[in-house]
Amino acid sequence: MEIATQLVTYGILMGCIFAFVSLGLSLIFGVMNIVNFAHGEFMMVGMYVTFLISSYLRLDPLVSLPFAGALGFLLGMISYRFLITHILRGPMVAQLFGTFGLMLFLRYLVMFIFGPDVRTISHGLLVGKTISFGWISLDASKVITAGACVLFFGFIYWMINRTKLGRALRATSLDTEAARYMGIDTERMNALAWGIGGATVGVAGGLLAHFYYVTPTVGMLFILIAFATVALGGFGSITGAFLAGIIIGLIQGLGGHYLSELKFTFIYAAYFLTVVLRPRGLFGW
Amino acid sequence: MGQVLRDIFSFGDRPFIERIVLFVFIAVGLIFPWLVESAYGRAVMIKFLLIALFGLGWNLIGGYGGQVDLGQAKNVGFGAYATALMMLHWHTPFWLTVPVGMFFATAESFAVAYPMFRLRGHYFAIATLCVALVWKELFVFWDWTGGARGVEISIRPAPNFTYMQFGEVGYHYFIFGLFMAQFLFMNWFRKSKLGYQLQAVRDNEDAATSLGTNVTGTKVKAYCITAALGAVGGSFMTVYYLYIDPDLVMPLDLSILIAMTVMVGGAGSIWGPMIGAAALIPLDMYLGAWLAGTGHYGIDFIIYGFIIMIIAAYEPKGIWGIIQKMSRRA
Repeated sequence: MEIATQLVTYGILMGCIFAFVSLGLSLIFGVMNIVNFAHGEFMMVGMYVTFLISSYLRLDPLVSLPFAGALGFLLGMISYRFLITHILRGPMVAQLFGTFGLMLFLRYLVMFIFGPDVRTISHGLLVGKTISFGWISLDASKVITAGACVLFFGFIYWMINRTKLGRALRATSLDTEAARYMGIDTERMNALAWGIGGATVGVAGGLLAHFYYVTPTVGMLFILIAFATVALGGFGSITGAFLAGIIIGLIQGLGGHYLSELKFTFIYAAYFLTVVLRPRGLFGW
Repeated sequence: MGQVLRDIFSFGDRPFIERIVLFVFIAVGLIFPWLVESAYGRAVMIKFLLIALFGLGWNLIGGYGGQVDLGQAKNVGFGAYATALMMLHWHTPFWLTVPVGMFFATAESFAVAYPMFRLRGHYFAIATLCVALVWKELFVFWDWTGGARGVEISIRPAPNFTYMQFGEVGYHYFIFGLFMAQFLFMNWFRKSKLGYQLQAVRDNEDAATSLGTNVTGTKVKAYCITAALGAVGGSFMTVYYLYIDPDLVMPLDLSILIAMTVMVGGAGSIWGPMIGAAALIPLDMYLGAWLAGTGHYGIDFIIYGFIIMIIAAYEPKGIWGIIQKMSRRA
């Protein structure tokens, strides 16, 4: 029983983290119907920002989070401005390969500069601490990441549904042409979606670096998990992404406990089954 | 029969120039071991032909079919493992293992094809990626296939045609022969009935349906043939490297490299894979040798990524598209 509770709690925590990583992907897809393969690399850049600030400037990794977010925002905006606007004119294949090229470029640029070594953050307010709730003890950094995830989801949900900016974003996603006639600067909305997507995943990367290995290739694993999450939740659905993240976390946590070599197989299988059996996802329209 | 022969050797766009290019290519391929003496140069040529061979196979589904498949490495893996395991356990001669590898790759592709082709675009691409990764994890997990340790093939002392082991020159002609066979097959295929149906499906599914083409059936057939073609190259990798593991024959990077080669060269063109491999592989091997001592990794992929972005943004038809535009202007 104790093990089961521990596993489920751990699964939910990891699920929040996966959901956090998927948030930006879901947002970008929702607004402009394009899948960003470089999303995991945005996260990786956020992880490196945190790692560098904590190990070279000797600051607490938490201090780096705004910087990770800001760099993610810039990365998103720049990618949109210089790449995505161009590939949107081409066929679907070109769109796929365009973000794919961006993924390779970012990943190996980081590898070229910092080398392929696996790094970890060794000190910080949260690193290595545990929080105990009764007999369940949890990694403090994971709990904080999960909390931040809930906060960000809440914020994005509020922004999309309650603010003027969110209304403009939704209008752009529903019908770009009509939105433009209504005086919405759709180009700016798209760029903003990329910026916000990049910022959330940058912060997620910064938090993830507290307890996960920092390597240039870490993005691939997380982008696949994020694809599975977003597909399961329904492409473009914010609440869907959150719930699907938790489901994926539980699959990975429980599957990993019983068949640890194959834990990612379960996630890929979940993606495959979702898109084949219910292409709009559990919560998509 | 006569028509088939004519189709194999005829080209569409600029028949005369293309035939001359093909002739020069064959000539260079045949005398290459005399032109280049260094082992490294020959290794580059073999790698070029191997990746171009994979590109030819992928071009069938990715270029003529327009379906972005990011999992071709799994088929390479099936071919490689069929050859390696049959040689290891039963000492089967090479040419008997090739059809077995092709069979397994085709059967697996057929099994996943119907659910897979309910998907389109991004969904399909990610699904192929997932399936390939699942197979890789299973091969790492499974003991009978050697797991993560891989499979080693015992080295024969003398050149051996049963197990296809030779020196570099032998391997060069071996892969060159495989490449030419697939090249001519593809040149015939694109003018076959299925080839035309496939291109019609790529260009407009509704129109193809209304003309009586079974869209899903066509895609599934193309997907299975692609799988079989990929497995052949995998079998070659086993006897060339004499050692395989999931990281060598089924990695995601290989799937990406194959698809990228074709995209850079020109998807849906018979020359695309060749041009793409000629652009990427020597660059890759040269940079790899140059940077090996400096401790910096990955500059090859930085350049790949950059080229891919430029091509996707400005010329989705790849280098072949540029050549076509220039020749039209001239």
